[in-house]
Amino acid sequence: MNDEELKQLFSNSEAVEPSPDAKRRAMSAAMSEFKVMKPANAAIENKRGIFQGILNWLRPTVESTVEARGQAMNTTTHSRSAFSLSNHKWHIAGVSTVSVLFLAVMLADIENTGYVLQRQSLTESDLTSAPAINTDRPVWLEDGGDSGGALEMRQQVEMMAKQPLERSFVLAERVDSVIQPKYQLELGGDGLFEKMETLNSESRSDFTITPGQLLREHAPTSSYRDEGRDRFSSYEAQPIKSVTTEPISTLSIDVDTASYSYVRRQLNQGVMPKTNAVRVEEMLNYFDYDYPVPTSGNVPFTIFTNVVDSPWRAGNKLVHIGIKGFEIAPSEVPSSNIVLLLDVSGSMRNYDKLPLVKQSMELLISQLKPDDTVSIVVYAGAAGVVLEPTPAREKTTILASLQRLESGGGTDGGEGLKLAYKLAKVNYRDDAINRVILATDGDFNVGMSSNESLKDFVSRKRDEGIFLSVLGFGEGNLNDALMQTLAQNGNGVAAYIDTLSEAQKVLVDQATSMLFPIAKDVKIQLEFNPRTVSEYRLIGYETRNLKNEDFANDKVDAGDIGAGHTVTAIYEITPVQSNSGLLPNSRYAEAEQPRHDPKATEYGYLNLRYKAPEEEISRLISQPISIDAEDKPNDSLNRETYFATAVAGFGQLLTGGKYTGTWDFDSALALAQANKGDDPYGYRTEFVQLIRKAKLAENR
Amino acid sequence: MDEIIRQAQQGSEVAFEQLLNDCYDRMYHYALKWAGNRANAEDITHQACLKLTRGLSQFRFESSFNTWLYRLVVNCALDWQKAHLRHTYDDIETADLSTTSYGNAEADIHLRQVLTQIEKLGEGYRETVLLVFGEGLSHREAGEVLNVRESTISWRIHEIRKRLNPVKEGGSK
Repeated sequence: MNDEELKQLFSNSEAVEPSPDAKRRAMSAAMSEFKVMKPANAAIENKRGIFQGILNWLRPTVESTVEARGQAMNTTTHSRSAFSLSNHKWHIAGVSTVSVLFLAVMLADIENTGYVLQRQSLTESDLTSAPAINTDRPVWLEDGGDSGGALEMRQQVEMMAKQPLERSFVLAERVDSVIQPKYQLELGGDGLFEKMETLNSESRSDFTITPGQLLREHAPTSSYRDEGRDRFSSYEAQPIKSVTTEPISTLSIDVDTASYSYVRRQLNQGVMPKTNAVRVEEMLNYFDYDYPVPTSGNVPFTIFTNVVDSPWRAGNKLVHIGIKGFEIAPSEVPSSNIVLLLDVSGSMRNYDKLPLVKQSMELLISQLKPDDTVSIVVYAGAAGVVLEPTPAREKTTILASLQRLESGGGTDGGEGLKLAYKLAKVNYRDDAINRVILATDGDFNVGMSSNESLKDFVSRKRDEGIFLSVLGFGEGNLNDALMQTLAQNGNGVAAYIDTLSEAQKVLVDQATSMLFPIAKDVKIQLEFNPRTVSEYRLIGYETRNLKNEDFANDKVDAGDIGAGHTVTAIYEITPVQSNSGLLPNSRYAEAEQPRHDPKATEYGYLNLRYKAPEEEISRLISQPISIDAEDKPNDSLNRETYFATAVAGFGQLLTGGKYTGTWDFDSALALAQANKGDDPYGYRTEFVQLIRKAKLAENR
Repeated sequence: MDEIIRQAQQGSEVAFEQLLNDCYDRMYHYALKWAGNRANAEDITHQACLKLTRGLSQFRFESSFNTWLYRLVVNCALDWQKAHLRHTYDDIETADLSTTSYGNAEADIHLRQVLTQIEKLGEGYRETVLLVFGEGLSHREAGEVLNVRESTISWRIHEIRKRLNPVKEGGSK
């Protein structure tokens, strides 16, 4: 290791910014001390006044003893008995006591859980002596070597490597239920497995031979990845609903694709993605389906419905709803006023972050028309304008300023956002699409950093006509929930870019859909016919449920469709009398005889509301979903339907497969393989590969 | 900067708050590198803030404020360690270490190992490497902070290099 490498090692660690909470606490403690000290300072400089004496007694200092501190604490707060038993940290000052105590208790709890799991795994494999693996120091290899011997340790590590995923999920789940979101995924990463990862890493250790080196040679080549700090909101899969009690289902459409890219990345690393990271609707909508293209410009999209048999539950049907937005002809593409807001904080240093951002932005700029304008705002510890609004024809100027960017410092995304909007506003063009495009690896940790305040800010700006799209990069720090919130409220898309080819897809192949909205606040409401359908379940869209009464309320925001976008939603239904339902039959409900009225030929009625981009009043489109339309669509449309079914099925399998019965990865593979179609860009072939990888990752 | 310090010394709350705000991140970064995890780094920085409050009046503009600030946080970290070593290993500590949170867990663990190795060289080595490589101080500045001669720092760096680079063959990747 040379000096450069050492420096690099230090700078890699700069990614973590102080938590605002801790900073505030420390500062307020110091400020209150300062206020007390002021008079004392003025009077006697080197003697301590009475005030300060008391203060020192209450607030432990370096000079006072541990015992004195313990007493001081015992007189000031209530809940410290547990604290003083388990932890003698002397530095806890009054203000931070409660929160630190909270953390300490939480951590102890988690630690116990982890320990129990470990013990269990050791017993399972009949290892008689179990040196304490969880000494939890980087140097544990050496310690362990002393007590257990390298060979034995190797056995343990290999044995544990066989089932790491499952266990880490169990642990992560427990953690979820115990603690605040802030910590959940940091800890969900489970220190033990992270350490195993270090056994495999090539990049470390130039020191003397330790048992660790022996281990490194034999340990499995791919194991747990550090993904612990990527944050996802948790959600429950959509439940089955009875048509008699809840005949109406309402949702907002979603054109995001971030989840698919994230899942792909995980699977390519040989790891099953976290359940919460999988959003079935985003996987569905990652693919372009060959739905009928709208012919007239009056209605900006077509609605395609299809009903097919459910592959995973005999007797059930899948109601397939596909929406296709019209393509803007190149000559009619409106101008753009784009502000690129780029995160250049220290955490963006990795090869798959800032360098990829630069390449992606070059791709994006290559798609612009000569009179479009581009500005660049960057933020790290502070925000700054790198490029004043510049016409896209001055490409060299734009590219040069992109290339100059370097990463380092904190992450004051809130400030960056404000500045970017300000710039967009200054250069606002009525005839153009005004949009801020944010590229980040995750968190805003300085300034306006709560999801709520950011959300309000973004939605206010949306009403002023400036939209926001969010591109996520890299892993390890990704804040999925924040990306979603911002894009949803900014009338934009959230996409996750992990490779240059993904950048190509999002920013070039689908540039028009990303940049030009053709309809906004698109909501779908489906009313099921109780005479023909007994129960139903929406697949995915967990974060997109709307209240039924909000369907016709134009004040309620919903998803947007860009030019050429396709959006797909799938309901699984149980027809009356098919006996394939999961809900119990009601003993007292009157058995209804199917009557011969026209409505008995419909499964339900689809309502869709949307607003034209510049309008505030929604329009309604309605059409029935007929029973006998089952085999009407032509082969190619059925193929699209089946491929979407395979994607939806795969997504459900990744989230636990609660409703998919014995249908497994092999079934998904066969269905996807058979319905790949032309696949001009190779996305579907890649999907088939992903199913194979999931199969491997699952069995590992 | 000097003006703000002067105002703070004369009792201006506004100036002092700004000073704290400016110093906090710097101290925290050092503490984080030193301690290796967020919780301990926050505690050390918290302590350093209090110490800064009490000690500010003693800053006489004889050395640079930066040097003074580093010395302060270095001492806080050492005090923290002293106090901590008195206690037996317990669950809380285990947990603290598992919350280690750098941007890159692998680099982080690697860094911890490097620091552990360096620490074995003797007292002051860890601080030296943190200040020189972590914070980018010159040998003279680091010497001022640690209250040793510049040549001592140079010697320590030399020793550290020897330690990290024992042989020139394949060892360093």
